[in-house]
Parts: sequence; C-alpha cells; structure tokens
Amino acid sequence: MALRVLDRLRPLVLPTAFGAGLLLLWQALVVIFGYPKVILPAPSDIYAALIEDFAVIWQQTVPTVRDTLAGFALAAFFGVGLASLLSFSRLLRDAIYPLIIVIQLVPKIAWTPLFIVWVGIGWQSRLTIAAFIGFFPIFIAMMAGLESTDRSLVRLCRGLTATPWRTFWLVRLPASMPYLFAGLKIAITLAVIGVIVAEFISSSEGLGFLILKSAALLRTDIILAAITVLCVIGLACYGAVHAGELAIRKWQGE
Amino acid sequence: MSTTATAIRVVPPVANPSAGPDYVVVDRVRKVYNEGTRQQVEAVAPSSFTVKAGEFVALLGPSGCGKSTLLMMIAGLDAPSQGTIGVAGRALTAPRAETGIMFQDPTLLPWKSALDNVLFPFQASKRATGPTDGPTLARATALLDQVGLQGFHDHKPRQLSGGMRQRVAICRALVYEPDLLLMDEPFSALDAITRDEMNLVLMKMWEEHHRTALFVTHSIREAVYLADRVLVMSHRPGRIVEDICIPFARPRGLEIGETVEFNEICGHLRSKIQHTPH
Repeated sequence: MALRVLDRLRPLVLPTAFGAGLLLLWQALVVIFGYPKVILPAPSDIYAALIEDFAVIWQQTVPTVRDTLAGFALAAFFGVGLASLLSFSRLLRDAIYPLIIVIQLVPKIAWTPLFIVWVGIGWQSRLTIAAFIGFFPIFIAMMAGLESTDRSLVRLCRGLTATPWRTFWLVRLPASMPYLFAGLKIAITLAVIGVIVAEFISSSEGLGFLILKSAALLRTDIILAAITVLCVIGLACYGAVHAGELAIRKWQGE
Repeated sequence: MSTTATAIRVVPPVANPSAGPDYVVVDRVRKVYNEGTRQQVEAVAPSSFTVKAGEFVALLGPSGCGKSTLLMMIAGLDAPSQGTIGVAGRALTAPRAETGIMFQDPTLLPWKSALDNVLFPFQASKRATGPTDGPTLARATALLDQVGLQGFHDHKPRQLSGGMRQRVAICRALVYEPDLLLMDEPFSALDAITRDEMNLVLMKMWEEHHRTALFVTHSIREAVYLADRVLVMSHRPGRIVEDICIPFARPRGLEIGETVEFNEICGHLRSKIQHTPH
C-alpha cells in the first residue's frame, strides 16, 4: 500500500530528492573546501540573500514579469491573428508565409539593439522584443494547426453550406488547439529570455538589470537569488499555459 | 430520360409506382483529373441517369471506378469537367443546403457529443430553426433514439463504436429533413455483422423519412438489399453499364438475402461488373 503511494508520487519525489541531494552536495563542497562567497556562494548564502534583499528583488521582479506577460499576450494576439487571417486567403498565405519563415531563421535576439533604437530604452523595447520573439513559434504552430485540420471535416462543412468564417470558427480553430498550445509553451519561455536580454542591454529596471548590476558589485549571491526567482517565474508561466491547455482539452472532452 | 445502359434488363427500370418525377438528372457528366497534362486521368466517362423523387437508387461498382467522384459531383462538392447535373429542377453549381450527405467515414467533430454532432448542421449554416430551438432539439433526440442510441446522446465520438458513430452520422444527415440523401459507401469500414445491422437501421430510417436517396457501394448484396434500383458502373473510366429495378416489397428483412430471386439478381449484377470491357 505504502509502496503503491510511493510509486504514484515517483515523478515528483524522484527529481525533488535528486535536486535536494545536489544542493546538499553543493553546500558541503563549499563548506569543506571554503570557496570564497564571491566566486561560489553556498545555497544557504543564496537563500540568505533572497530573504535579506527580498524588497529589492521583488521590486525588480515586477517589471520583468509585466513585460514578459504583456509581450507574450501581444505575441499570442498577432501570432494567432495573422495565422487565422492567412488561413482565409491562399493568395495572402503564399505571399506572406515564406517571408515569415525566412525572418524566423535569423536569430531574433540580434534584432534587440534595433528595437531599442526604434522604440527607446524604456519598457516599450522590452515588450517589443518579447512579443517579437514569442510571435514566431505561436504563428508557425497555429499555421500548422489550421492547415492540418481534417480535410473531411472541412468538406463536411462545405457540404452543409457553411461559410468560410463558420468553418473556421466551428472546425478549424478548435482543431488547431493542440498545435497552438505547443507554440504557446515555447513562446512563453522565449518571452522571458527576450525580456532578460533586453534588460541586459538597456534597462534600469528588471531582474536582468539587477543581475548585471550585482555582477558589477561582485554580489554573486544576489545574481543566483535573481536566477532562482526567474526559475520560479518560468515555471509559473509555463504552468499557467499548461493549465490553459488542460482546461481546453477538458472542454473538448478528451 | 436517357441512360447508357444497353444490356438486357432483368426488370425494366420503370416499375416503381411510388416514384415521382425526375429529381436528380445527370446528363453526360464526365470527370477528368489533371486535364491537358501527361497525368490526365478520366475518372468518369460521360454518364447519364436520373433518380426519381422518393426513389432509393444504389450506384454499384468496383473500387476506383469513379462512383464516389460522381456522387461528390451530385453533392456539389466537385465540379464535372463536362456535362450538367440538375437537382430538384435546378442546375447544380454549389452544394445545396437541402442535400444530406453521408461520407465513407462518420466525420464527426471529436470534441462534440453525439447530440451536438447531430445538431451541427444547424450551427454550420443558417436554417429555419437554430440548434437550440425546441423542435430541432426534439427531432435530434428522437432520431438518436430511433437509431438505437438511447443513453449515448452525451457521449463523445471516441467513446462510441464504429457502427454507433455511423448511426450518429445518419442522424446528422437526416436532422434537417433534406430532400435528397447522398451516401458514399457509408458502411464500408464496418465489419460484416455491424454492416448488416446498419443496413437494417438505414432501411428503417429511410422507410420512415422517405427521402430521395443515392447510395454508392461496392457491395452487390448491400445494393440489392437496400435499393429500388441499381445502377452498375464499369471499371475506370466509370460509365453506367446496367440499370435494373429490384422488385422486393418493403419493409424488407435481411432474410430476403436467402431467396433464389435475390441471389439471381446478385449473380446478374456480378456478371455485369466482371464482364464489362475496360
């Protein structure tokens, strides 16, 4: 009985135990060999920094999360919107889709300085880069979803004299949901990366800025504390998208 | 009325007293794919036939003979390369809202329940009543009960067996009371026992609702069991090589399949399919 419970919790227990073991090993190595805190702070030091400087870290967390979520929302809006638009017109699709694929081949981070020139060093540029970087996986996934819709269902709609709009709304859109969520999951993680990189380059706020500033002050413990927070943000965002996917799946009766 | 059938008929195709005027008129319809290229394929050779109002006609032919292509053209889902199709006195240019279609696969929306799938035609296009109107809902539930799906109205397609899904598809094709029912080998993916069952269900539904029906199949017995009239199509390029009436009185039970007459008709049709020159 107890063994069966343990078996069910295996996917949770195993990585947690392994992670905790690593942290312990890290702590032990630092204590035994006495690495200087500036080079490698022990987990206890990182925890201490997190508590001590919580106000500062929290203050910098807010703009990072805000820009990430806003950028992601924009990416989702434009990605889903454009893919939907192109699904209505063969002409538009054939004209625009290859171009987007080509642009997508360029490393998107390379555009960051250009966006800063265009929209300034404020939150606008961070938002823009997060939206830009998140747009591609969403657009491409949505496009794939819309195009892979079961042809026989589309033919059924035609036989029932459904308009293209109704066919889109009733069949193509629901059918593309699994694809869309795969794209959203990639996009949300990329959006965090985009914001952090933009903060490295130009910002005076955000966790990226805090990391860069702490590096200049040799506060390695604060850097690692900020990274810990980023880790939590990433997990929470990903979890939220995943929860959305489960909700849609449940609604679709899977 | 002209047909390309020239063979001796077992029963002349005029003896259906319940049939009305010509409802579907297929006039020298030809279908060629990749016209003008080296891959040019003639799927349907010029074919002409008519289906009378209230008549159940089976279009019988070997696999790949173009019978499904012909049906899709009558559904308005594919355009003829040559010739014209008339339905209910009007030339066909696009799918009609009054035609009910059953495809080879049930083609149900996987995220909708059986009942919502039956109501889908009312969502997909504007009709006299909406999907949630009382009469519509009552008709949809009554149809599901009639095909033996009591207690399965809220089940999703993946919770249903293949035969049950095709029953849902029958209901969906009948729920908006189409004047013409087109069926493209709807039971070909089912096992023999389920298939017999589905033929009984379809027969019962057709006798109750009595629509003009065109049923495509490659099963000789299925064609003879279901139809008032059987048209035989040759190998590709398909053309109509036989047109006979099936004399059995309705309602028909599966036991008519054991009679000598039934088997004689089947034998005759088989010889027609096998001995037509390519």
